[in-house]
This record gives sequence, structure tokens and C-alpha cells, in this order.
Amino acid sequence: MSDLEHDEPEHDEQERSGPPPTASAEVLAAACFLVAALAAIGLGVVYWQGGQTQLEGLMLAVATGGIGVGIVVWAKRFMPHDEVTEERESLASTQEEIDDFRSAFEHGEQSVVGRRLLLGSAGAALTALGAALLFPIRSLGPRPGKGLKETAYSRAKGRAGGVRLVRADNSPLKPEDLAVDGVLTVFPEDHTDDADSPTLVIRTRSNQKLDLAEGRDAWVVDGIIAYSKLCTHVGCPVGLYQAGEGKLLCPCHQSTFNVLEGAKPIFGPAARPLPQLPLGVDDDGYLIATDDFSSPVGPGFWDRDR
Amino acid sequence: MTEAAAETGAEAEPAGGAPATRHLARWTVGAALGLTLVVTFLLTGRSPAQADGDLVAEGRQLYLVGCVSCHGTQGQGVKDAGDNERGPSLEEAGEAAAYYYLSTGRMPLGNPDEQPHRKDPAYDEHDIAALVAYVGSLGDGPALPAVDLDGASLSRGGKVFRANCQACHSASGSGGALSYGRAAPALSKAEPEQVAGAVRAGPGQMPVFGPSTISDEQLDDLVTYVEYLKAPEDPGGVPLGRIGPVPEGFVAWFVGVTALLACVFWIGTRSPIRRRKRS
Amino acid sequence: MSKQTPPLPKVTPSAKAKAASSRTATFKGARWVDDRLGGAKFARTALNKVFPDHWSFMIGELSLYSFVVLLLTGVYLTFFFDASSEKVIYDGSYAALRGVEMTHAYKSSLDLSFDVRAGLLMRQIHHWAALLFLATMVVHLARVFFTGAFRKPRELNWMVGCTLLILAIFNGFAGYSLLDDQLSGTGLRIAYSIALSIPLVGTWVTSLLFGGEFPGPDIIERLYVIHILLIPAAITVLLGVHLFIIVRQKHTQFPGPGRREDNVVGERVFPTYAAKAIGLFFLTVSVLCLLGGLVQINPIWIYGPFDPAEVSAASQPDWYMGWLDGALRIMPGWEVRLFGFELPNPFFPAVLLAGATFGLLYAWPFLEARHARPRHPPPRRPAPPAAGAHRPGRRHHRLLQHLLPGRRRRRALHHVRPVGELGAVDVPVRAVHPAAHRGVGDLPALQGAVGPRRLAHRQQGALAGDPGPAAPRARQGPRRPPRRRTARRGRRRRTGRHRRRLSPTGTDAQLEQVGWMRQRLRRVPAKRATRSPGSRRSSPTSTWCSQLVTSTV
Repeated sequence: MSDLEHDEPEHDEQERSGPPPTASAEVLAAACFLVAALAAIGLGVVYWQGGQTQLEGLMLAVATGGIGVGIVVWAKRFMPHDEVTEERESLASTQEEIDDFRSAFEHGEQSVVGRRLLLGSAGAALTALGAALLFPIRSLGPRPGKGLKETAYSRAKGRAGGVRLVRADNSPLKPEDLAVDGVLTVFPEDHTDDADSPTLVIRTRSNQKLDLAEGRDAWVVDGIIAYSKLCTHVGCPVGLYQAGEGKLLCPCHQSTFNVLEGAKPIFGPAARPLPQLPLGVDDDGYLIATDDFSSPVGPGFWDRDR
Repeated sequence: MTEAAAETGAEAEPAGGAPATRHLARWTVGAALGLTLVVTFLLTGRSPAQADGDLVAEGRQLYLVGCVSCHGTQGQGVKDAGDNERGPSLEEAGEAAAYYYLSTGRMPLGNPDEQPHRKDPAYDEHDIAALVAYVGSLGDGPALPAVDLDGASLSRGGKVFRANCQACHSASGSGGALSYGRAAPALSKAEPEQVAGAVRAGPGQMPVFGPSTISDEQLDDLVTYVEYLKAPEDPGGVPLGRIGPVPEGFVAWFVGVTALLACVFWIGTRSPIRRRKRS
Repeated sequence: MSKQTPPLPKVTPSAKAKAASSRTATFKGARWVDDRLGGAKFARTALNKVFPDHWSFMIGELSLYSFVVLLLTGVYLTFFFDASSEKVIYDGSYAALRGVEMTHAYKSSLDLSFDVRAGLLMRQIHHWAALLFLATMVVHLARVFFTGAFRKPRELNWMVGCTLLILAIFNGFAGYSLLDDQLSGTGLRIAYSIALSIPLVGTWVTSLLFGGEFPGPDIIERLYVIHILLIPAAITVLLGVHLFIIVRQKHTQFPGPGRREDNVVGERVFPTYAAKAIGLFFLTVSVLCLLGGLVQINPIWIYGPFDPAEVSAASQPDWYMGWLDGALRIMPGWEVRLFGFELPNPFFPAVLLAGATFGLLYAWPFLEARHARPRHPPPRRPAPPAAGAHRPGRRHHRLLQHLLPGRRRRRALHHVRPVGELGAVDVPVRAVHPAAHRGVGDLPALQGAVGPRRLAHRQQGALAGDPGPAAPRARQGPRRPPRRRTARRGRRRRTGRHRRRLSPTGTDAQLEQVGWMRQRLRRVPAKRATRSPGSRRSSPTSTWCSQLVTSTV
């Protein structure tokens, strides 16, 4: 390296006077390093004693911070601050270089472009291979089928007993279990873990008039009405029931649904009402669903209506 | 209903005592504890029938002074000229609601159009007990549930809380916004009986959770968890309100980025140098 | 090494000798490598690389070092994290969740937080580093944007940087979703619904990504691979490209004495700049450790395990997703139906808006180069150098003009952006500006795009950067000279005046227009400048014009 010593062609010295490297600065930097060393040891001790997150974080911060401050003080006070100038060479190539490249490329190009047949067939092979390599991606997931449009309640279709509504512990529910102004999250029996079937059953007050779509009045049992819990916006559980006003609010994006009017959206980004679940009571007096939801649950997708 | 009130009183004794020993350190509102004890003492210090009759009568007197203008002479509610509800009927409110509203200071309300907020109770413990007994005697609303935190399970309570409460009160019990300017309150000041009363009564916009939705045992668990949420473990340090990523983002920007930019500024700013003009 | 840099006054011969003797082993090692790879020339070039010293040029390094911290802490976390969606009953030391059913992913995160010593510290440092990685990237992006450093020839690197930003956002989201707590599960559900909303392919995309309908059997496992392997690898590679391009193109610089379009003035990498960079690395780690140790982040034990039927009030994403979440919220409840098909509501804010935002970011250098032209005449003109150049306030204000893209009447006008006069652009620049210790502004188009006016402007910049006779005294202190305060006040005053002048009516503005147009016509004879009334106006322009002629020669 010593042979490079005098060779400074592209640097133009402007100035080289730095700040005075005082003794106090040296002491400061050294103190920083020592504090860092102590903190590092302290970190070891804290860890060994069973660990404590705050102390560990503090020790680690002091250790790294001490080193950082020490180095910076060192750099600022004891290292050269000569301002040097470096020329910017042109980024773009010269015409000569470009011409050189071009002739070299064109020289080789002949043997590539000239063979039309080889070029075409090789291209076809590579394209086919590329396409073929896409197929394994298909293994990543099943074909999106009816699953998005159906829930476990679909078993109820045409079945006399329907599908019982159950609590999270799979215990069935009678209409009288729900107090007036009460709300409960229920599931189709034996499917309490399904992500698409959480359902809200809400018991409205006798003085709250339900204004439902035609034919849906029969879907209500003793003032109990059931909607999908999944927001029609992006599928968050619509968990906030404002009993006094009969409104359901989604805590994610503030879509608000009016329970008394078929859960139609009255505020926020949701565009469709929450799907309603037709309710009934079976012979043992338990709440059942007599059919699947009135429409696919949750967020919209391209062929939802198909 | 009247026996229920007395029973509630009798059973409430351990409720005040047990948390006193177990949770005293955590309780931020010490007065709440005293209140419970005094209510318990007042109720249990007499024979049930006597306590009952006296209290209901006393409660009615207080009611006729403080509540009648909005809730009517028999608690039937009052409507103004425009058929808007001035004050709701109390016939189905029950002890649970009465206790919740009175002990949290939400009632009496100066202006009926105002949304009630927690403030210092307007009545002392005895008067509250009397009013609760009176309102409880008006109909068959939910009784004030007895809370027994002995043997309650914290983790089961957490499950109940997350399933039923966090949607409005947030996972950390810090409350949250509802629609149209309403808000679910933070639970940091809610005493066990108030939590239990609110669950059963469903005050304001809150839904009602009856015994077949949240059983009495689950209610004890739940109250235990709400008590825990007042001062949960914060192994990570300053909790930032435990309300999620928004305060974290603020700290990242206003503390983190500021500190880092300060470092950069310190490093990148030159030490004083005498600069000579180029000649 | 210090031998090859110019001799320093403080290095005594004896110290030199001592250093030389202790370096014999190093030399041997270096020689061994050099015999095989021949790196001495390259290494020497690297050591002597000049880096313009302005504090704002180090903001990008903050992101780099945050990323290093992310890698280090992330590797530690992988030793304990179990990315599995198998269910298990928790039996760890956090009492409030004991007996609760949860996935292995969530359980191992709890164990990491409560039962692994220093685990929570690492987790929190990792999360804070992620937030600050993105935050410093945004600050860096803003610096590049507002100084025009994305302009030719730096468009490529701008686009690499945009890609890095997108990758970092995705990786942050993937990491946040891994823990399978209630909050992240809700976020994942929203992401699922957004992907589902893509026309035509949405259902396929989600099915392939999640392995089925939400939540899908494999999503945690897949996110894990994405989070710890795919995206970090891509980020690392692109960071390399990003840095390589910077080295190749050389850094931009603010105008100042001796600074021209065709040079870089600054410090050598070795030793000072390298030491500062290493120091900055340690300081970054220190800040992250401080946050990670003292400020709790993402308390997943409060949120509980993910259950698709549950949700908490105030569910929000980390800050860098906030703009998207906000867009989802304020979108009106519209959906489009076409021939029986549906364009769901989240498609518009979350796919189209996000796509448009980043599309605009990518395209900005090209859009600006193509379409931007000045909308306003230059706001104000400088005093003649003799009278005003050394007045501190004046100097600062002039420097400010370099930074304001729409105000730079002395830079090449085809680079001026139409939004330049908006307050939104103005404010962050003002925040940056007073801190600049020397020239502010930059060399946005370093090569090939150097117009004569630009050179004139450089000359002017040189004058502006000249501290003048009062400066040496003021600069003796270790920190900024006290007169800076005055300077700021002066700047503000002047800013106010300049705003009034923007009024399109009145002689003043018309005269401005004349001066401005004269500038636009590049080769205005200097004598025409003298026609403008008032010495304030005429003399600087003529000075520039004469400089313009001399400097183009």
C-alpha cells in the first residue's frame, strides 16, 4: 500500500485543518468506551441473574450507544477532515466504447439470429418449459369452489330438524336463553371452528319494529334474529351491538348495520347487508337454522352472484 | 324481589372481603371497596324483612325527590310533548341497572339528553342501597348478581371477555368508539359489582348478557379478568395504554425517528473547521 | 492506512513508526489475499471514495442499520418461534392464558415473551426495528424527493428504492401476521379479503396463497417462509443493487464552494466517514435497544389467540399500513356490478389506490421530466452579491430556494415541479433547511443535463455558500454559530414578503415575470438585464449572465 502513498491524481486537496484533538475529547471518547464495556458486563450479570427485559435493554442500549458515541467523537475530533474533491467521470459510455460493444455483439449476433429454425424451436421449448413450471403452483391450494358461497348451515336445506345453533362450546340454545337486548355468537352444530359461520343471534325488544324483506318475517323466532357475524366489507367480525339503537358496528372500518331493517348498511364502506339466517325451533325447543344464509357471507368477490 | 335484595346483601359480604385481601394493591379506587363493605354491613346488620321494608320505603322517598321528574312516579318512564322519551321505564331495570347507574354516578342526570358518564356518586352508600332496593321492587328486572372472586379462573374469564366484551371495550379494557358519537367506557375504574351489574342489566347501548349467556361462574371469572386488566403484567416496559399499533407508531416516529435523526445530525454536522477560500 | 491520506499535523513520526511495526501481520495477510485476488487497487479506490458530508445523506443508512438489526434479532427469534397452526393448550407461565387453546405459533410467541430469557427483548427490538426501518425509509424517500435526487441519472435507483419500500411493507405485514394473535389474525383476514376482491383472479389468488378458504391450513407456515426467506433475500439483493448504484453514480451534493456538476466534494470514506458510519450503526442499535427494552410493543398476551369469531375494538394495523386501512375506512359503501360480476368495495381503496400510489411513485421521475414546467415566475430575486450575499438571512433564504422544487428559478427550469408552490411541499423542506450547515439544494441532474443556467447557478451557489468575513469568528465554537437564530428570523421575514409577491397583479409581479422569462430564454444578452428597474433586480442577473458565459466556455 505504501506505493500508493503519493498517488492522488483525482483528489484535489482543499483544506486539511481539523478540529483540535483536545485531551478532554480523548477522555470523553475513552470514557464512552469504558461505560460501554461496563454496560456489557452488566448485561451479562443481569442475564445470568435471571434476566429482566428493561435492564437488559438498557444495558444493551448503553453498551452500543457508548461504543457509537465513542467512535463518533473519535472520528470527529481525531480523524482527518480534509475536504477532498473527486471528479465525476461520465457515466454514459463514449461513442467509441459503444461502437466496440456493438461490433462485438453484432459479430456474435449473426450466429444467433441467422438460425431462424433453431431460434424459434428453442424459444418454443423455453416457453413451454416456463409454462409447465407454473403448474406446480396449482398445488398450493384447492380450486375455489362453492366454499365461498356456502357455510355449514347448508346442511339444513331440506332437512326437517335443520341445523342447531350452538354456543362456542357446542351446547345448543333455546330462545329463552337469550335475554331481551341480548346478543350471542353462535355456530352451526359441530362446526364451532369454521371461520365462515360465526352468527350473531340478537333478541330485539318487543317495541322495536322489525322491517325485513318480504318473506323474512318468518325467519325470526320470538324477536330473535340471526345475521352472519362477518362484515360484508372485508370480513371482520361485526362484534359491536348497540342494543339501544339496534345497530351493529364493525370495529375494523366502522361499517354500521341496522339490525331492525335486515342489517342493511347505514354507514361506512360496507355495501351489502349482513346475510340473514332463517331461524326456527326444533321439536326439543332448540334454535335451529332452517337453511343457509340468505347470501354468501363475508367480503365480496368477482363471481359472488354467479 | 325483596328477598332477592336481602340475599344479595348477605351474599355480597365475601365479595367485598375477598378482593380486599387479594386485590387491594391493584385497586385504584380504594373508596369503592369501602363502599361495598358499608353496603354489605348496612344490609346484613338487620333482619332481612326489616331491612327490606325500611330500605324500599326509604328508597321511594329518595326516588320521589331525585328521579321522579324523568322516570315517573311509579318508575314507568316519562315522555315529553313530542313523544320522545325523557326518561325510560325502570320497571324492567332491576337492581343490577340501578346499582350500576347510581354507584358509577351516571344517575341522576342533570340533562336527560346528555350521555351519562362516570362521575362521583351523588348518593352515599346507604341511599344507593335504598334506591337500588326500591327500583328492584318495581318489576322483575335482573337482580344485582353476587360476585365471588374466590376460586374464579383468570384464564376462563379472559376467554369470556374476549368472546363478549372486547368488541366494544377493546382487548385491554380501555374502551372504544361506537357509532354516532357514542363510546364504550374504559373498564379501569369499574368495580366488580358494577361490572357484574352492567353485564346483567345492559345499561345504555350495552347488550344484556343473561345467566344463560354468561353463567354466574363465568361472570365471576369475567370480573376477575376485568380486575386483572386494571393492572396487567407489562413485561415489555412502558405499556403505551395497551391500545395497539397507533401509539406504537407515534412512538416510532416521534421518539425513534427523532432520536435517530438527532444522531445523524450530530454525526453529519461538521466539527468546526476553518475553511479557506480557494484561490 | 493513514499513510496514503495526506499527512496529518498531529501524527508524529514515532507514532507512525509504531503503527507501521504493528501492521506487519496485517500487511502479510493483505498481501496473501492480494496475490490471489489483486484487490489492492479496488480497496484503495474504495477507501478514497469521497462522500459528500451532509447529515441528511446519512438517513438512508439508518434504514440499512435497522435492517441489519432486523436480521440479527430475527435470526435469534427463529430459534424459538414455531410457525405452525396446529392447536395446543397453553401451559406456560402467563397465568391469564393458561388452559386456553391456541396455535403453536401463538404459543411459541408467548413462550418467547415470558419463558425465554431475553426473548421478549429480542422480539420487541425486532418489532421496533421494523417500525423504524420503514419510518427511516420514508424519511429517506422524502429527502430524496424534496432534494430532487431522483432525477436523471438516478431514476433507476429511485425505482429500486420504491421496490425496497414495498417489500419492506409486505415483510412487515407478514411478520406482524405470524404471531397469530387476535389483532394480527384480524389483519390477515382483511388482507385475505383485499386479495379476494381482485377481479377475475381474486378467488384463485387467495386459494393458492392461503391454501384454501380463510384462514387456510397453511398460511402461517407460508408466511413464515415468505417473512424469513423470500422477502429478506430480495431486500438484501436490492439493497446491494441500491448501494452499488450509489457508488457507481456517486452521491449528490448540495451546492457550495468548489462544488460543480462534475465533481464530488466531501470526506474520504477512510477513516473518518467509515468511522462515522460505524458509530451511526451503533447509535441506531442503541436507540432500537432502548425502545425494545423500555417501551412495550405489540403485547400479544393481551390480545389473546386468534379466533375468527372474535374481534377487539380499535383493531388497527402497524403505522405503515395505516394509510391503506384509512383508505378502506373512508371509502364510501359502493360496489360495482358488471354483467353479473362484482367489483367489491375494498378493491378500489386497497388495490387500485395502493397500485396507483406506488405506480405514481415509480413513475414520478419520468412524469416530472416530461410534464413539469414552472407555473409561477420566480418568487423573488436575490440582492446583488455585494450588498446581500453575505447577509445571513439572505443566504439562508437563497439556499432554501434550491430545496424547493418549484422555487428554484436558478436551476434548470425544465426540472421545476408544478406542485412546488404548494404548502405541503414547502413545510417539510423548511423543517430540514435551517439545519443545513452549508449549501442546501443539490445536484439533481449531474451529468448530461447540465445546462448553462445551472452552471451559473452553481457559481451563484458558491457565492452564497461563502461565509464571508464574519464567518471564521462565528465558526470557532464547537456547535453552530449563534447567529443562526438571526438567520432564521431573517428567512422567515423574507418568506412572508415573498408570498405577497406571488400575487399575479401589480408591477412588481410583472417585473418578476420579465426577469423570469429572461432567464427562461437561456441566452439573454446581459445588457437587457439592465433594463429592469432597480439595482436589486438588474445586477444579479447580469452577473449570472456574465458568469454563464464564462462558465460555459
